[in-house]
Amino acid sequence: MQLIQTRFLLGILLTALAGCELPPRDQTGVTQLALQTSDESEEARTNEEYVMVTTAVGMPMYVNHDQAAFKRWGKQMGVKTSILGPADWDVPAQINTIEEVIGTRPTGLLINGTDPAIAQAIDKAVAAGIPTVVYDSDIPNSRRHAFLGTNWYEIGRMQGEEVARLIGGKGKVAYMGILGLNNMEDGFRGMLDVFKRYPNIEVVGKFDDKANVETAARITADLLAAHPDIAGICGFDSNSGPGIALAVKEAGKAGKVKITTVDWEPEHLRLVKEGVIQMLAGQKRELFTWYGAQFLYDMVHRTNKLSGNDTMAGISNVPNTVNTGLLRITKENVNQFLTPSGPPTP
Amino acid sequence: MLNQILRDRVYTLTLTTLLLCLVSAAVFPATFPTFENFRQLLLNLSIDAIVAVGMMLLLIAGVFDLSVGSVVAFAGGLSAHLMVYYDVPVPVAMLMGLGSAVLIGWINGYLIAYQGINPLIQTLAMMGIVRGGALMVAGAGIQNLPYWYNAIGQSKLLGVQMPVWYMGLVVAAFTFLVNRTVFFRRYYYIGGNEQAAELSGIRVRRMKLYAFMLSATLAGVAGLLLTSRLGAALSTLGRGMELRVITAVILGGASLTGGVGKIPGALLGALFMGLVANIMVIARVSGYWQEIILGLILIIAVWIDLALQRRSAGRQGLARKFSNKPSPEGVGVDQ
Amino acid sequence: MNPILQLRGISKSFPGVKALEGVDFDLRAGEVHALCGENGAGKSTLMNILTGNLEPDAGQVLLDSLAVEISGPAEASRLGIAIVYQQLSVINTLSVAENIFANRQPRGKLGFIWYSQLYAQTQALLDKLQLRHIRPQSLVGELSPGQRQMVEIAKALAQDPRILILDEPTASITRQETDTLFAIIQQLKDDGKGIVYISHRLNEIFTIADRVTVLKDGRYQTTRPVADVTANDLIRLMVGRDIEFARTASSRTGEPLLTVRNLTGGRFADISFTLHRGEILGLAGLVGAGRTEIARAIFGIDTLISGEVYVHNKLCAIRHPADAVTAGIGYVPEERKTQGVFLNMSVMENVLAADLPAAQTGGWYGIGKARQLAERFRAQLRMATPSVMQRAGLLSGGNQQKAVLARWLLANPDVLIVDEPTHGIDVGAKAEIHTLLRGLAAEGKGILLISSELPELLALADRILVIRQGTLAGELVGDTATEETIMALAANA
Repeated sequence: MQLIQTRFLLGILLTALAGCELPPRDQTGVTQLALQTSDESEEARTNEEYVMVTTAVGMPMYVNHDQAAFKRWGKQMGVKTSILGPADWDVPAQINTIEEVIGTRPTGLLINGTDPAIAQAIDKAVAAGIPTVVYDSDIPNSRRHAFLGTNWYEIGRMQGEEVARLIGGKGKVAYMGILGLNNMEDGFRGMLDVFKRYPNIEVVGKFDDKANVETAARITADLLAAHPDIAGICGFDSNSGPGIALAVKEAGKAGKVKITTVDWEPEHLRLVKEGVIQMLAGQKRELFTWYGAQFLYDMVHRTNKLSGNDTMAGISNVPNTVNTGLLRITKENVNQFLTPSGPPTP
Repeated sequence: MLNQILRDRVYTLTLTTLLLCLVSAAVFPATFPTFENFRQLLLNLSIDAIVAVGMMLLLIAGVFDLSVGSVVAFAGGLSAHLMVYYDVPVPVAMLMGLGSAVLIGWINGYLIAYQGINPLIQTLAMMGIVRGGALMVAGAGIQNLPYWYNAIGQSKLLGVQMPVWYMGLVVAAFTFLVNRTVFFRRYYYIGGNEQAAELSGIRVRRMKLYAFMLSATLAGVAGLLLTSRLGAALSTLGRGMELRVITAVILGGASLTGGVGKIPGALLGALFMGLVANIMVIARVSGYWQEIILGLILIIAVWIDLALQRRSAGRQGLARKFSNKPSPEGVGVDQ
Repeated sequence: MNPILQLRGISKSFPGVKALEGVDFDLRAGEVHALCGENGAGKSTLMNILTGNLEPDAGQVLLDSLAVEISGPAEASRLGIAIVYQQLSVINTLSVAENIFANRQPRGKLGFIWYSQLYAQTQALLDKLQLRHIRPQSLVGELSPGQRQMVEIAKALAQDPRILILDEPTASITRQETDTLFAIIQQLKDDGKGIVYISHRLNEIFTIADRVTVLKDGRYQTTRPVADVTANDLIRLMVGRDIEFARTASSRTGEPLLTVRNLTGGRFADISFTLHRGEILGLAGLVGAGRTEIARAIFGIDTLISGEVYVHNKLCAIRHPADAVTAGIGYVPEERKTQGVFLNMSVMENVLAADLPAAQTGGWYGIGKARQLAERFRAQLRMATPSVMQRAGLLSGGNQQKAVLARWLLANPDVLIVDEPTHGIDVGAKAEIHTLLRGLAAEGKGILLISSELPELLALADRILVIRQGTLAGELVGDTATEETIMALAANA
């Protein structure tokens, strides 16, 4: 009896061990690009589904730019588009969504590169043979097929240069954004690298506005109280600009304290026109998703053949990395963005 | 007898879950009822379920902890920080991460049980403090964690990723312990009537302290598993997890007033929520709908419970009507 | 004289039980009509129908000979019916005035609460009720239980009702307060109000009531002028048998089980006594004299300022009830619902509360063993419950108390402190609990019995210690103990 039990347990243990599988050790190995491809019939095309997975799906900037362009693209191409992801900024939930979507075999995956931690999920999608394009921020340690986005380091540099110019290369500056996000930290670094060249610029603080207008405004008000002579403030998330502008306006220092920030939502543009914000470092977000989707389509349909069989050759027929560049919006050109032909509205 | 079953959330939720699975399988035959999908679904809920077991214990005792989500981020972040920046050996770093979780649990428990700070206030404050700490240790995210650390969460057994097995282990162990040990039985008494428990010779404060420590430890385990599974530590891990887990646990049959709930209920609640999320992804429904639907489901579940109780025992309905005068005498079933 | 209130053929069922069956009741202006019956007889159901909390399945309610439908408490109060519940409905964190004028605070022109008026009106009401030591501004939580009960009564009277229902109003108040209450009732009677008086205390019924109606098992038994019945008649009608508080034989020995020396705590000082094996030691005194506080201190709930507790002649440092249980002391608290019973847990779990390890086999807790133990005590104490898995909250007060007692029978301490063990319990269960306590003493336990019911103390206790304002006022043994001598010591009269 005892013996049978022991053997039984041993058996289970061995089976379990046999079923144990360690993760792959080497992350850089080239995997076969066994892409799903599609025939060119009209019917097959309408069955194609391109899925965008992001986080904070409800964020107005994402909805008005990324998602609107992606949907327009889908309509024009006559294919189905879906947008998925958690309502809040929740990277693990985005990863969960990506991994669950893989099982449903979409034609292509367009992924918002929110954090390097999503690399594994991207690799899973690639390994499953799904064309996968990352936009916004790159996930360099992943095997994504292509990336389209902006260089955040450049955004930081652009803001740094502009503020330095506006304040004449001397004075106190502060900056804020969401701390702990990779792209923003890159931006901070870019800006600080610029300031290093100006010994008379004193950085008085780095603040976390938690992507919240009220928080940004409160931090700015405190800053103005603590440093009445502050010369410039830089913002790095969508809500930094409106928050900083609000507090500066309330303090009656509009135009005196120089403000640069990111994004070009209607609110930002209005503040530029009013002269409260001096410069916006804008991203061409529409291009991220439009061309990102187009890349997916081109991979699936082998629009450009670079060899006899690209899959067999282990190459990709779309650009590896695309920098869409930045928009520099100031009082001089802001009217062009405010006119109806400016940013597309959903 | 049927009423008895209908009133046990573990049964009703199992039934609802099965029903939901059947309907989904019928609607999405190609994508829903697949091994791959279920494997993924279970993996995605495993971390929440482990935290939910600790939360269930707290709710049985009549308290709760809002700081668990932050503890997940901090414990994972601290171990990652130590092993990546200080080359601390993996097991030592993990122990230190867990130790930090236990310490946070101890502080919460001590201040709540012995100093009488309201659990909502205490754990809300701790949630912010620990989140700040997580931001400090994890910064902009820590990648390139040691291979063997990642192996803990990324290895597979019988085709299923390890966190699912750990979840099974935690749920099974706690189900057994809560059913079969005097130590854990005491939590039902504490949640049922704290004063009466104290007067029955149960050391309520000490037990509550232990509960907070246990729950925080499980959150720490979850944090280690999550960072290991992702292969990265992020300061934003576990954001919003506290409410998600409390929702799961309440769906699973716990009550904010304490004294009721079963450990499998925690798993079932998490499973149900994971299932809803999964079906949304498969049906290509976007994020905010998921939150709206989960909110509605929670209200409906609790409401149905109340309705069932009212129907099955008129006396209980009466007792509810006199909420400040429990169980009026004179409607005796027994004399 | 026409009755102001009539109930005709009222029936009400709950799933599995007929709570009321064809009950008639009438109330005249200017009379006190007592309603009595055991717990579970249907008194509270009847009252809940009158106050609109429940709807009758059949029957009619007539006010001034007109049929009315009482849809809820608000409707009842509009019709001039006010009730004082047995369980207090006052809110501890609000002032006396805000409790009394709950939801009806006098308001100024702008619709904001007019506090000076609120306090003035409250003061006037309290003066009228001769409750001069209660300030309208005091928080109810700071008052004694008796004072809280008076606030509850004031709250009901503030609406100037025609019909006042009092449900066990004297359960937690002192003798003095009872006298005040009776004076108020007399005054209301003279004003032509009708009063329904529910009480277990028969002597009160004889003092204050004009007529009495008896219910038994939801059925109407009889209505008679109080002058025509004796206490024994009523008991027979209520329980269908004669019950007397006969003085029981003592089983006291000379072996000390519990000795306390110079106990001093927050509300008592310098208390010393010894409890012997086989003895029931009574603690008498007015409500608020400090008896419960002494018990709580011995049991380790409240901290002692000084003094020693010896169990079996061994000095014990008791800092928590768990220490007391380990030392062999058990405690049945006065507040059964809030401190004794786990209302939402099963009878089985209630029985096991103080000795969970008893249900272990080989170190593992097992529900089978637990159930077996609970069944044993259910049989032994004759608990009326369909199953030990039944929620304790569904039992009557007497059976809940039995479950609490069973808890200590299981834990089996040498010393058992029982605080008002028959408070709010019907006559039948009361007798059973008395027998049980006597039996425990005979088995060799020592019992410290705190009771405000003098007949109970006199029937059970071997010796009676009288506590007055936190000090030991005297000890009465055997025949020297009578209601008069106890009251004299307790009130220093």
